[in-house]
Amino acid sequence: MNPIELTLGIMTAVGGFVDISQVVFAALAGSVFGYSLIWVFALSTVGIIVYGEMSGRVAAVAKQPVFNLIRHRLGLKLGLITLAASLLSTLITCAAEIGGLGLLLRYLTGAPYLLMAAISTVTLMACIWVLPFKWIERIFGLLGLLMLVFVFALTAIDPPWEKIAAGFLPQIPPSLSSKELLNFSYFAVAIFSAVMFPYETYFYSSGGIEEEWGPKDLRTNRITSIVGMALGSLLSIAILASAAQLFGPAGVGPQIPGSVALQTAIPFGPIGLVLALLGILFAVAGAAIETCMANAYSIAQFFGWIWGRHKKPWEAPRFTIAWVSLLLLSLAIVLTGVDPMSLVQYAIVFSILVLPLTYLPLMLLADDKKYMGKHVNGRLAKVLGWLFFVMIAVMAVAALPLFLITSGGQG
Amino acid sequence: MRRALLPLLLLAGCSKGPEVDLQYIAEARSLGFEWAMVNDLASRGKLTPAYVATMRESLREQLGTTASALTQPQSQYGNQIRALIAEPANAPAAKLRTHAGKLKQIEDSLESN
Amino acid sequence: MKPDSLIKLVSELLDLPLYDVDGKYCGVVDDVELTGGPGKDLKLKALLVGPGAYKGRLPGWAMWLVTKIAGNRITRVPMDKVNSIGAAVHLECSGWQLGLHKSERRAAEWIPHEGAL
Repeated sequence: MNPIELTLGIMTAVGGFVDISQVVFAALAGSVFGYSLIWVFALSTVGIIVYGEMSGRVAAVAKQPVFNLIRHRLGLKLGLITLAASLLSTLITCAAEIGGLGLLLRYLTGAPYLLMAAISTVTLMACIWVLPFKWIERIFGLLGLLMLVFVFALTAIDPPWEKIAAGFLPQIPPSLSSKELLNFSYFAVAIFSAVMFPYETYFYSSGGIEEEWGPKDLRTNRITSIVGMALGSLLSIAILASAAQLFGPAGVGPQIPGSVALQTAIPFGPIGLVLALLGILFAVAGAAIETCMANAYSIAQFFGWIWGRHKKPWEAPRFTIAWVSLLLLSLAIVLTGVDPMSLVQYAIVFSILVLPLTYLPLMLLADDKKYMGKHVNGRLAKVLGWLFFVMIAVMAVAALPLFLITSGGQG
Repeated sequence: MRRALLPLLLLAGCSKGPEVDLQYIAEARSLGFEWAMVNDLASRGKLTPAYVATMRESLREQLGTTASALTQPQSQYGNQIRALIAEPANAPAAKLRTHAGKLKQIEDSLESN
Repeated sequence: MKPDSLIKLVSELLDLPLYDVDGKYCGVVDDVELTGGPGKDLKLKALLVGPGAYKGRLPGWAMWLVTKIAGNRITRVPMDKVNSIGAAVHLECSGWQLGLHKSERRAAEWIPHEGAL
């Protein structure tokens, strides 16, 4: 195990963990419910670690990406349903990320939102075209580490650390009215969805194939998943805790993504503000690339096309056409003028509906000795995997009613 | 039983009044306090000009959307929201907090009913 | 051969990825061609690759949609060109020989061949 590679991998995972949905919901959760939703971030992070490690292990051992194996395991019909569902949810997520980029560039430059969204899309297209896979991952992941300014900002405002620590214990705030309880439940479901977005496992497993992982890389996969994602979730928890300290008491429930940068402006002034906006910008740009590529991987793997960014674009032409088209389609959704915050909500709801379809085949594959040999799921992975599957299945059923009843957490 | 429920559900969907407007009052209250926070920080030199201008525009735009969603725009809270929107973009933070504070009082009293 | 053996083989074979003799990825086994019939020995004659091979595995409306999007091309891979079957199907010859990369070649005409590092 190369320590430099491992460190870079972990740092990339940290900086690449957060996306626009997590930023928005972390700030809202903190402002409305204080520290009492920290445990949901922590629990859902354990969930994505479990499934992320599984998807990397499947890629390294079976040497096939998840969607190839999904089709073989589930068959054409059910596989197509899984593909269609995941395409739709990831497309909306990609559009939300591009909308987020447009907004962030607007906050930084004052330039019009839709123009910035279009320029972002073209820039992302150029990055994916020109840069090799590893560079794409590393550049955006490492620049996303600018979001560490949120951790420093939290430290600087001297928060109640004992309350933050207590927030890691599962809890429901006492004396909630039934309306507030429904809102709390919706936030819990939304946070789970934002942390466990399906595109993450597709991108991670396909990335493992791109980087030619084998059984020798299993330890790296495990450490990167656990350490990288755990540390990454601390960024979201820092945003939540700052919101609890600064926004809640001030009567602010942040309605727009730019609001979260106020958390760093308060202790650090304009430098803190710009670092926060840039950090979120690169994290969201990375997420936009991941969602677009995850969809292109899924389509190409399912239909048997040559795929991969380790090849030049013209060496995998249908795959190239797929990711270019998907980026443009996401931009088209943004250009309809739909409110980016609404896109975030739709992405959240669609994704949680699709999650059981995503994680069930992955569990079955990782549990199958025929594909995995001695690297099949151990007892811990099995227990945790099925436990989280039951949780997300219950949330998938509850998500839409909660979204409608609470008007997307607005009460 | 289902047939009897349907017109009730339709009626519920068409109903007006403070109960339905409560979420918009909360939204306007939050936007007002946020606007105050932005102006307060801007006056202390903690924000960049581009960010201040964009946030003010976004917040006021959102307030306009919220105001137009009210089922009873001529109510006390409707007037309060319009008064908030009528403030200039660089209004003093204290003034904006006064408007938002009044909305908070209305919100709290509706919630306790 | 047990009565369920061929059916089990076919079900294991369907949707497996294909790799040619150069290790290049060539697609997915979308269907299989059998010879024989009632009262006769059933034998695997060929693997079928391409969206046209989904017919019989998808309902009519879904097949119509697939045809509109991806066409109805089928490429036939005779069983004598198959080297081994495991977690993937490995061929004895290059995918080009069997016409397995035609669609990629056509799509490549639309892609500029420059700019990538």
